[in-house]
Parts: sequence; C-alpha cells; structure tokens
Amino acid sequence: MTTADSSVATGGTERSEQAAQSTRPKSSFRRFLRAKSVESSLTAVGFALIFAVYAVWLGSKFLNVEALLLNVHSNVPILILGLAVLVTLIGGQFDLSVAGMATLTTVLSIGLVSKQGLPFGLVLVICLAVGAFGGLVNGLVVERLGVNPFIATLGSGGVLAGIAQVYSGGTAVVPGPEGHQLPHWFTQMGTFGTKFPSAILWVAFALGMLGLYATLSGLRPASMAVNRWRVIRAVSLVVLVAILFVVFDLPKWIENTSWLLAIMLGIGLVMWTLLRLTTYGRYLKASGANREAATLAGVNVSREVIKAFVIGGLLAAIAGILLGASQGSAAPEIAAGFLLPAFAAAFLSTVIFSAGAFNVWGTILGGTVIVWVAQGLIIGGLPPTWSGVVNGTVLVVAVALSTVMRRVNR
Amino acid sequence: MSEPQRSGSSEAGGGGAKPAPSAATAAASYEAPSLQIRNLGKRFGANQVLSGVDLTIERGEFVGLMGPNGAGKSTLIKILDGVYTASEGEILLGGKRVSSLRRSPEVGFIHQDLGLVDDLSISENLRLGDKPMRRFGPILNQQAERKAAEKALARVGLYHAPTEPLLALAPGEKTLVAVARVLERGARLLFVDEATSNLAPHEAEVVVETLKDLAGRGATVIMVTHKLHETLSSAARVVALVDGRVNADRPIAGLDREALIALMAPVGAAGGGEEGLHRPAVERPAREHATKGELLLRLKDVYGGRAGPVSIELHAGEVLGLTGVAASGLHDVGLLAQGALPPERGVIELGRDKMRRALVPPFREAQGGFGPMSVRENLTMSSMNRWVGRGRLVAGGREIRACEEMVDRLSIKPPRLDEEYRVLSGGNKQKVVFGRALLREPDVYVLCEPTRGVDVATRAEIYRLIREIADSGAGVLVVSSDAEDIFAVSDVVGVVNESVGKLTPTKDLKLSDLEVLV
Repeated sequence: MTTADSSVATGGTERSEQAAQSTRPKSSFRRFLRAKSVESSLTAVGFALIFAVYAVWLGSKFLNVEALLLNVHSNVPILILGLAVLVTLIGGQFDLSVAGMATLTTVLSIGLVSKQGLPFGLVLVICLAVGAFGGLVNGLVVERLGVNPFIATLGSGGVLAGIAQVYSGGTAVVPGPEGHQLPHWFTQMGTFGTKFPSAILWVAFALGMLGLYATLSGLRPASMAVNRWRVIRAVSLVVLVAILFVVFDLPKWIENTSWLLAIMLGIGLVMWTLLRLTTYGRYLKASGANREAATLAGVNVSREVIKAFVIGGLLAAIAGILLGASQGSAAPEIAAGFLLPAFAAAFLSTVIFSAGAFNVWGTILGGTVIVWVAQGLIIGGLPPTWSGVVNGTVLVVAVALSTVMRRVNR
Repeated sequence: MSEPQRSGSSEAGGGGAKPAPSAATAAASYEAPSLQIRNLGKRFGANQVLSGVDLTIERGEFVGLMGPNGAGKSTLIKILDGVYTASEGEILLGGKRVSSLRRSPEVGFIHQDLGLVDDLSISENLRLGDKPMRRFGPILNQQAERKAAEKALARVGLYHAPTEPLLALAPGEKTLVAVARVLERGARLLFVDEATSNLAPHEAEVVVETLKDLAGRGATVIMVTHKLHETLSSAARVVALVDGRVNADRPIAGLDREALIALMAPVGAAGGGEEGLHRPAVERPAREHATKGELLLRLKDVYGGRAGPVSIELHAGEVLGLTGVAASGLHDVGLLAQGALPPERGVIELGRDKMRRALVPPFREAQGGFGPMSVRENLTMSSMNRWVGRGRLVAGGREIRACEEMVDRLSIKPPRLDEEYRVLSGGNKQKVVFGRALLREPDVYVLCEPTRGVDVATRAEIYRLIREIADSGAGVLVVSSDAEDIFAVSDVVGVVNESVGKLTPTKDLKLSDLEVLV
C-alpha cells in the first residue's frame, strides 16, 4: 500500500509529459529524460555515440560493413548461447552449463563423423538429442530435486565439458586427410564467404517494414485522424528506409550476410515468436516474475521451467554445431570462454530495448554491440588480448548506467 | 540468560504480545517534537496529487490519517520520508524547517513491509542499519546488544529472548519489533503506514493498543489505515485526505462509523448520501437461499496445510463465507478448495466434469500479480487457452478486447493495458487479480481476503461484484479474516478453527454472533 497512491500518479503522468514540455520549458529536458521510451533507449543512444566516435577516429577502418559483419559472424555461437541463457533467465533461473554443452556438441559433431564415421544427418540428431537431454536433466535436478540452479548447472556444465575431454582424449578433434570427412556443405556453411541468398533477406526486410507499419497504427494519438496517421506512418517509414539505404548502406549489409548470420536471425525470430506470441512465453515470464503468484494463477511453473532448460540445452547444442561448422575442428575446451559474453549479451538486453526485461532482439543486438566496441578498440591499437577486459567493462558500465538513470528518474 | 517471560509461541495467532502496561514499559516517557506541515503540495507532471496540506501535530497525539485509495496518503508519507520532494510548501520539525524527516532521529517510519529480515535474530533485526555495539575493533559486544534488545522489546510489551529468530514471531509481534526498532533509534514521532492491514484483527488490536500506550506517554503516533474501527478505537484525532486535500481534521470524539465514512466522501458528495460508501452490512440484500443450484464442490474430512478436518459444500449461485483467524488454517481451506493445495487426506468432489476453479490469493503483493508484466498479461494469465488462435499463437485482438472490457467493468486505474502491474495502487492491484479470476470464467471462485487493504468505496464495489458473480450461477467461496466481509456477502457462513464443518445460513445470524464465534 505504501507504493500505491503516488505510483498511480507517476503512472498517469507519462502521457502528459510531452504536453507539459511546452508549458514548462525550464525542466523540459529532465522531463524528456524521464519518459519511459526515452529511458529505455538511452543505452542504445550511448552505444551509438561510441560508434560515432569510432567513425570519426578510425574512419573507414571501422566503418567497413564486411569487417563488422565478419566480426558478428565469428561470434554467432556466442550470441546463440546468449539466447540459450536468456530462456532460463526469463524463467527466473540460471543455466551455467551452456558453455559445457556447446563444447561437447562441437566435439561430437566433428568427432562422430571423423572418428566413428557416422552419417552426418544422424550426428546432427544425436547432438540435438544430447542438448535436449542435458537440458532435461538440468531441469529435473533443479525443479524436482530442488537443487539451486546455480550449483546444479555449474556442476552439469563441468560434467559436459569433462565428457568432451574424455571423448576427445584431451586433444583437438580434426577430420583426417583420408577417410571420413565432414560434408562439404557443412564446412562451407560455416565460412563467412558463403552468403545467404539476398533475395530472401530482402523479402524478410520488406515484411519487417510492413509489420512495423501495422504495429505503428496502434500508437496513433487519440486526437489524430486515422487517414492522417496513415500518411505520417508511411512517410516516416519511407524516410527510415531512405536513411538505411543512403546513410547505412543497407544493400551491402544484406549482400554480406553469411549463412551463419542468417541462421542466427532465424533462431532469433523463432525464439521471439515463442516467447512473445505463445502461451508458453507468457507462462515462463510469469514463472520468473512471481513464482508463487504464477502457481496460484494455475501455471505449472515446474513444467515451464523444465521446458526452458530443455530449450536452453537445444540452443546450446545448436551453438556447438555451428561452432563446429565454422571451425572445421574442435579443441576440447573450444567454447569454455563463451559463458561470460553469453550472459553479458542476455543482460544487456535488459537495458537496450525494454527497461528491465530480458528480450530476444536485445540479446542479439547487445552481443553484437559488445563485439563492435571491442573491435573498434582493437583497430585503434589495443592488443586483442584485451578483449576480455573490454567485454566485462562494457557489460558492467552499460547495466550500471541504466540502473542509475532509472533510480535518478524516480 | 534471562528467561523469556512469555515464550514466543510459533503458532502465529500467538499470545506472545499483550498490550502490557507492565512495569518495564510504564517507566519510560517520551518527548516527541511537534510537527508542522504548511501548504504542502506535490505534482507529478500535470497531475496534482497533493495540494495545500496544512497540519500541526503536537507531542503525544494519536492521529488517524485516512482517505480512499489514491487520496494522496502514501504520497504525503513518502514526502515526509524523503522519497519524494515536495513541489511546494514546508515542513517544520520542532519549529525548525527541514526538507524531509528522514534524517531526523526523533522520527521513525514503520511501513507495511516492516523492513525486517526473517532469518536474523530479533536482536540483529533491532540493530539492523544502526551502529553495532563493539567490544574492541570489529568484535561485537553481543551481551550489550542483547541487554539493549531486551529493554527495547519491553517498551512494546514483548518478552521474547532477543536471540530468537524473527521467523518464530507472529506477524503482529513482528510489527511490534519494527516499532521497538524505531524507538530504539530514538524516534518519538512515529508514522505507522498501513502496518496493520495484513494482520488478523486480534493482532492488529494488540499493535494499536501498544501504539496508544506509547502516545499516552508522550510519543506522537500518526497512523495510516483503512480500518475504520482502528481509528475510532485508538486515535484522538482524525485527518481525512480526499483528492490530495485535507477534507477534514477534527477530534474523533463524537464520531461514529458513518460520520467517519462521510469525512472521506469526495467533496460535494458529503452527507453520506453516496450509495457506494455505506457499509453494505447495513443494507444486506436478502437473497433467497432457496434458489441455490446444483452441488459444485464438496470437501469431506479434508486435511491439508494447517487446516483439517474440513467438510464444506458449495452450490451454484451460492456465496459461502468462511472466517476465522489466519493462524487457524483459514487460507489453507481456500487453497484446498481451489486445488492449489493438494489434500493430505480426505475427499474433494467436483460437481461437474472439467470444472474450472479460480483463486484470488490472500496476499496481494507476494501472491497476487506479476510486477514487471503488464496489466493485460496479468489479467489473462489464468485464461490463456481462451486467447490462443491459429497455430497455437496468442491472438492479440480478442485478448485485448476482453481486457479492455474488464478494465472498464472493474474501473481499473489507470485504464491502460500496457501499464506495469507493480505501479498500480493497492486497490487496483486487487481489481486486476479479481479480473484475472473473472476472465477464467470459472464454475467456482475462491476469494481469499478480497477486501484486504482496499478503501471503503472499493470494498463496496467488491461486495457488489461477489453478488454479481453468484447471481450469474457460479459458486463463490469467500475466505476472510474480516468477519464483516463474510457477514456482508455470504448466504451461508462457517467458522474455521483448523476444522470447519458446521455451516449456518447468514440470515440466522447477527454480525456480533459471528464475531463472538471467531
């Protein structure tokens, strides 16, 4: 009750902010900062500023679409791991085993072909099954036995990485020069040189713009006529597309999208649909937001959380397989260092798109942005060995800044 | 090791605390500073939440601060506590101008969530946030802390061993520990903000009596509460806030319940003529019990949680009310009936196939809603299968329309579906949780503490709503520790004292009978 009366008041004010701006010019900037939409995009603006500085400082060395995309391309497995931890985070859980799982499936996807000579299709099925099964075990240990998820998945991650060690005998698994080879398409898919058909991407882009046009219709100010709003929407979208073409050179981005990048975007779309548009997504979010309330509202929290671990395991397995595709071989600790950046990407999503909530596109964008921030510094002369320092700092600074902003604004 | 004179009874109903004007408490006397609030106002954007609030409160006063949900009580308290800054006006403490009372050691705030930690001992809770007593270096002087804690507890009439974990205390006793803590810090001017609203009546009474006792000895108490009888029985003066203004500021003497309600009526509607403001208890509509329908739910000798044996029957179109003290397993009966709590023994029979049951849980903050999720998502959580369209995807349009209708029907404010649940006021949170149950379109409703922490007008609305859903043919089980709730809405009542079996038609009862039974 203590929060009650006043928060109704604050809640009610947001709409009037813009209106009030003109009448009270003195504090209009502060008011502007307090608007929810502005608040949640502050971090994005911050990153944009960093890139602007890079652009001025490094010029075309940084503003090279191919190099930027190549960077993201080589980090696709990490970004997918980010989505893997995201699912469990939304359900209020932790999954620290994803890096171990990715290591194991990388080693398996290459080893089962080159050492055991299994058909590749079967190998893929096995890897995915391992991912789902590992996730199921995690989920059961956490939910049915009641083990703290932090401990449970820390342990299982160790076990998975350990199995990878045992299987590989502690040395890198490399397809031999004779005998069993990885399918050509698989290794080709992993390279940046193999581009995704741009026609499909263009269609996707067009659909996305249409979707945006439709979504914006719901934001029509009450005072505006429907037709007028329609015109405004159309014009602003055309302007947006023009900017994307002229300033950001959109065609070049689309031409340079590799298969791996496209697969990541596809997985993102599937995950977004799952979490945003299905009953499951709603239930999982509720389980994470207030477990007791969810149970009393009829949500089977245990089941939803176990499913989240299974999905996380599957995504980790996919990340491992894709890592195998891009590397063509597997060292037994190949994905060990991916855990921190994966979590960093997931946590950045809470400050990039929506204020405070984990979300899919924020994770992908967040992970991408970290990669680019580090990249700029490396181009500027920082030794690549510093990337860990940069990653950690960016994560903490971004999350801390947005937290402080939210507190100040209260 | 001083033996605790009264052991901390772990059954939360516990008689651990009594309004004890014992030797230890009677000794102390307090010098509270005076408080003056002049022309205080607060604006959020274009929204004037408080305006022109003038108050002068002298040493030893016991003031009841009342008003409907959204009247600005919490905002006023938050300004005084330094959470918000006032837009205009000034605050004088002991004649000196201050921006807030947060830094003043003579002032203490006790909020609804007491700010205590269950896992720590009583003594550790009392020291929490205060300078530790040290022996030397970082080594704590536990003996001195314990002695101080005993003294502090005695001030509020508690005689537990300070080493006991807070966990073992009943909710009312915890509230008293929170009071003891601010007194220990030197607070003489106490703001008690809804700290009794989650307590069972007899526990709340102990807390209020203790506060009254403190006021009698020179401390000043300003208590925010929705409970009329608390104000009537304890405060010497009532300040009613309505729409951000002081609507009334007068001595309590000569006021009765109706007069007190009238003080909180919106300006212009004064005179108590407003229909919704009357306690429906007064004008209880005589529902014909004969029209009750088929048997929907039968519990036979069911045990579960703290309750048992429970034997009740609920029919279509009937409101069955259960009351009792929370510690006697009252809420467990509700959870058993709804199915959230699986029975340990006994039989639960359902009258229909695929019967839907919906629950309004007893604790709104902990069990009610999903703070960071939207009003829309909160409303439809229990009825998702109704909104799933092609391809198992949630069909937004239908869901949104249903939510808009519900927001309209329950007049949830602000009426925006994308508002986060956590920023709603208490009464509106309750409405959202109600709306969730309604959208499930269940055969049986189980409503636990439906009016906890809501203002008089919302209470009347909720009563009306309960009648409405019973009239539409659903079975309604109302579980409330507030006997008046039960009396006002039920066709049949039962008293829970771990077991419940005997059900009595309400028309054969008087409210006083029911209160005696509890």
